[in-house]
Amino acid sequence: MDVELIINGEEKTASIPPETTLLKLLREEFYLTGAKTGCDVGDCGACTVLVDGEAVNSCLMLAGQLQGRSVETIEGLANLEDFHPLQKNFEDLGSLQCGFCGPGMILSAKQLLEENPEPTKQEIQDAIAGNLCRCTGYTKIVEAVADAAKEMREEP
Amino acid sequence: MRPFEFIKPDSEASAIELLGKLSPNVRILAGGTDYLVDLKHTADVPKTVMDISRLPELKGIDEVDDGLRIGAGVTHTEIMQNPLIKKYAPAMIHAAHTIGAVQTRNLGTIGGNLVTCVPSMDSGPTLVALDAEVNIVGKDGTRRISLTDLFVGPRKTSLKSNELLTEIIIPKRSLGKPANFYKFGLRKGQALALVNAASSLWIKGGCFKDLRISIGAVAPVVIRCLKAEKYLEGKKIDEKLVKEAGNIAVTEAKPIDDFRASQSYRNDLIAVLVTRTINAAIDLADKD
Amino acid sequence: MVDKVKVKERESTLEELREVNDDLRLPSVPEKVSFPIDVVTPEARTQTPAVGQRASRPDGRMHGLGQTKYIDDMSFPGMIYAKIKRAGVAKARIKKIDLSEAEKMPGVMATLIGSEIPVNSFGPSYQDQPIIADKLIYHAGDPVAAVAATTEQLAADALEKIKIEYEQLEPIFDPIEAMKESAPEVHPGQGNIYSSKIIQKGDVDKGFKDSYRTYENTFSTQMVEHVPMEPHASIAEWDANGRVIIHSSLGRITLGRADIARTLDMPINRIRVVATVVGGNFGGKNEITTEPILALLSRKTGRPVKGIYTREDEFMSSTTRHPFIMDYKTGVSEEGKIISRKVRLVCDGGAYCSWSETTLGKACILSAGPYNIENLYVEAYAVYTNKTMTGAMRGFGAPQVCFAYESHMDDIARDLDIDPLQIRRINAFHEGSASPTGQVLQSVVVKDSLDVAADRFGWEEWQK
Ligand SMILES: Cc1cc2nc3c(=O)[nH]c(=O)nc-3n(C[C@H](O)[C@H](O)[C@H](O)COP(=O)(O)OP(=O)(O)OC[C@H]3O[C@@H](n4cnc5c(N)ncnc54)[C@H](O)[C@@H]3O)c2cc1C
Ligand code: FES
Ligand code: FES
Repeated sequence: MDVELIINGEEKTASIPPETTLLKLLREEFYLTGAKTGCDVGDCGACTVLVDGEAVNSCLMLAGQLQGRSVETIEGLANLEDFHPLQKNFEDLGSLQCGFCGPGMILSAKQLLEENPEPTKQEIQDAIAGNLCRCTGYTKIVEAVADAAKEMREEP
Repeated sequence: MRPFEFIKPDSEASAIELLGKLSPNVRILAGGTDYLVDLKHTADVPKTVMDISRLPELKGIDEVDDGLRIGAGVTHTEIMQNPLIKKYAPAMIHAAHTIGAVQTRNLGTIGGNLVTCVPSMDSGPTLVALDAEVNIVGKDGTRRISLTDLFVGPRKTSLKSNELLTEIIIPKRSLGKPANFYKFGLRKGQALALVNAASSLWIKGGCFKDLRISIGAVAPVVIRCLKAEKYLEGKKIDEKLVKEAGNIAVTEAKPIDDFRASQSYRNDLIAVLVTRTINAAIDLADKD
Repeated sequence: MVDKVKVKERESTLEELREVNDDLRLPSVPEKVSFPIDVVTPEARTQTPAVGQRASRPDGRMHGLGQTKYIDDMSFPGMIYAKIKRAGVAKARIKKIDLSEAEKMPGVMATLIGSEIPVNSFGPSYQDQPIIADKLIYHAGDPVAAVAATTEQLAADALEKIKIEYEQLEPIFDPIEAMKESAPEVHPGQGNIYSSKIIQKGDVDKGFKDSYRTYENTFSTQMVEHVPMEPHASIAEWDANGRVIIHSSLGRITLGRADIARTLDMPINRIRVVATVVGGNFGGKNEITTEPILALLSRKTGRPVKGIYTREDEFMSSTTRHPFIMDYKTGVSEEGKIISRKVRLVCDGGAYCSWSETTLGKACILSAGPYNIENLYVEAYAVYTNKTMTGAMRGFGAPQVCFAYESHMDDIARDLDIDPLQIRRINAFHEGSASPTGQVLQSVVVKDSLDVAADRFGWEEWQK
């Protein structure tokens, strides 16, 4: 089965068996291994990517459902000039320890900040409720999202 | 996952035609948040999986002659953001918000939630309390049934394998009806309900009118608490009576005893949640 | 964009080039994804001295960019995938394993059972754990066979074709029951209590007699799984010279290497373990799991073999935190001073010892709490049961006993009507106190910490 889609702003085509999930498509066809397999059943959020700007669990989508749609992965977030403020603040605050949850966490936060530039702590927690982290206890992650939001408001 | 064919019809009509032609060797895929999890673990893989998640006819929330129409393909996120839902059935926003987490709500559809028909489904109680009905389309035409008639048992509905659930209708009489939803899970996010409950009511002359109470996760399907409703109907609002209604609701449920919670704990939860949801609906209602 | 990098390089002075430049360490990346060149180093990393500063991690940047490569993010030419069949029964004798159907499946390249493993036992303290169970099943998560196939799905399908006949045996799950003489033995001929420790100081019986009141209670804690976000993962590659390279999420590579050498019956210098960034360990990745299986499957097929645990594998067969059953008896003076304490710890070790020895020792020493106690008696047992095995997990037994002695302390304070903070102040270690095993303690600030903490979260206010 052929699928045409946009990944990180570029048109791509892949020829894959129909039972391929979006997660497998990204990792195995395009070597975009930022999205991780943590549970493969929608519980952990390690596989989170943005589809048409919305955070989804890529382990719970079939590649065929992506025909003509646009996917953003963690690899598409930084550019040659700069980090995304989320990535910068996650680094500055040491928000990640083992890092496995990081790409998914950052993408969930990105959807939040795009919809809500001034989130409360509660809203940040709600936005990342689907991203489990076993290392950190979330405190610094929530702080980093708040700081990134502030930075983005100040220098859009 | 084991191999299957994937098809993606571009209209409701062609979806129904394909269903008619291919059933029972075809299964419907909407948001996939239930079905793909199943598919990964089962040996019972259909020949064909048909994606309906983007069918335009299954999308949209509109005011129609007989009430509010919610397309079966509407996601939980769309429900949370919709102005008509906010105006006419805000309890649904709260219910949708308790489902999974952002990622699940962005994918999962209300149709998929109802058809999966697990007893703990979080969109069930509110819709039952609002007397919702569903439209079902098959190759022999459309039928309209009440939502409670859709539910048959755990993971079992009255849908035939060649039928599509197309829309959910909240009848006109329930639009704007004071209603409320409560869920109790072991955590705030990403947790199934141990018990969930919803109620809706009008208040006429200080008395309960058209009270509906519905609870989930404590019987094979989401149920209405008819005895508790009857107990309060027409009576003057009184905290003690509401509390008693909570106790009556316990007698109508048959909660299970499992690793998540014991039966007696769930029974306590039923009494508390039912009482709370009625009180919260009272607070929302006009008092004259 | 790429040109910009080159220009920059040409313009740099020799000194600049010699500098270790963080940015040049960024990995080459697939596709057209490019990376920041001019990024400021976070303030915290430039500050010195480090004490009191907020630390940032040197690998934090890669994590946030999604560029950290964990095992599952790596692949090698010709790589195939292994899956493990698990027993599903708690205790049984294996009568027959029939691999023929599985082996016939297209895409299946090799299978492996316990009898093919050169030395089928390992473990950090006692070598009581088989790599693949070959005769007896000790718990439901025991591996009984492994398959390597060209895709993960084919390997999983092949597992279902493996037929195993068991003779069911009577399992034992309750550690207290398992301690009885009459209990069925988890490891035949070995007795279920596989480790015990005693600490004795002063005279507890006399202490109880001298006490104003005595209190008794039993506390228990549950089994906890580490749930690292990255499941256990390894890739093994056996080369033509008879050396094996193992990329693994192992946290203790040196120990792991020795275990791999032992089980493969090879000199340790033929084994190369490549450690990667671990996606969460918490103690659960301290010992080998499937590495020897993957190595042998690689030898059989001549291909690199990847094995990633599913979440089910993780819960069923990786180590967990020990459930403890803790009996406490404490005698106190009227003012709340602890005069005598007797503790019995039963640690439910599950099917194998793993790090239970270490855990038991630490739990034992810490079980009296950070308190001066003249008369102390602690006895502790680690017991086999037919359950998922337990092992190292953050704290090595300390959290369990802490839950018990602090709960016990609160009970006593409530009964004596003493402020819970005060009863701890009365008893807490001070400079020069001796630990239960006689170690003289230095730099002791328990009381000061308690006071500062109480002050910070408004203890006095809160008490009103
Ligand atoms: C991590 C996680 C957390 C979750 N948390 C919750 C929760 O808190 N509360 C809750 O209620 N649910 C929860 N769910 C379950 C699930 O997300 C919801 O039930 C969701 O609404 C299912 O919708 P879907 O579109 O994804 O259905 P799908 O998985 O696509 O389909 C489900 C079933 O319905 C059938 N189907 C779907 N649409 C139609 C249609 N229009 N006509 C006929 N048949 C149809 C499919 O054939 C399939 O059998 C959770 C799931 C996950 C993965
Ligand atoms: S891997 Fe997709 S949610 Fe865990
Ligand atoms: S940093 Fe390890 S899981 Fe979040």
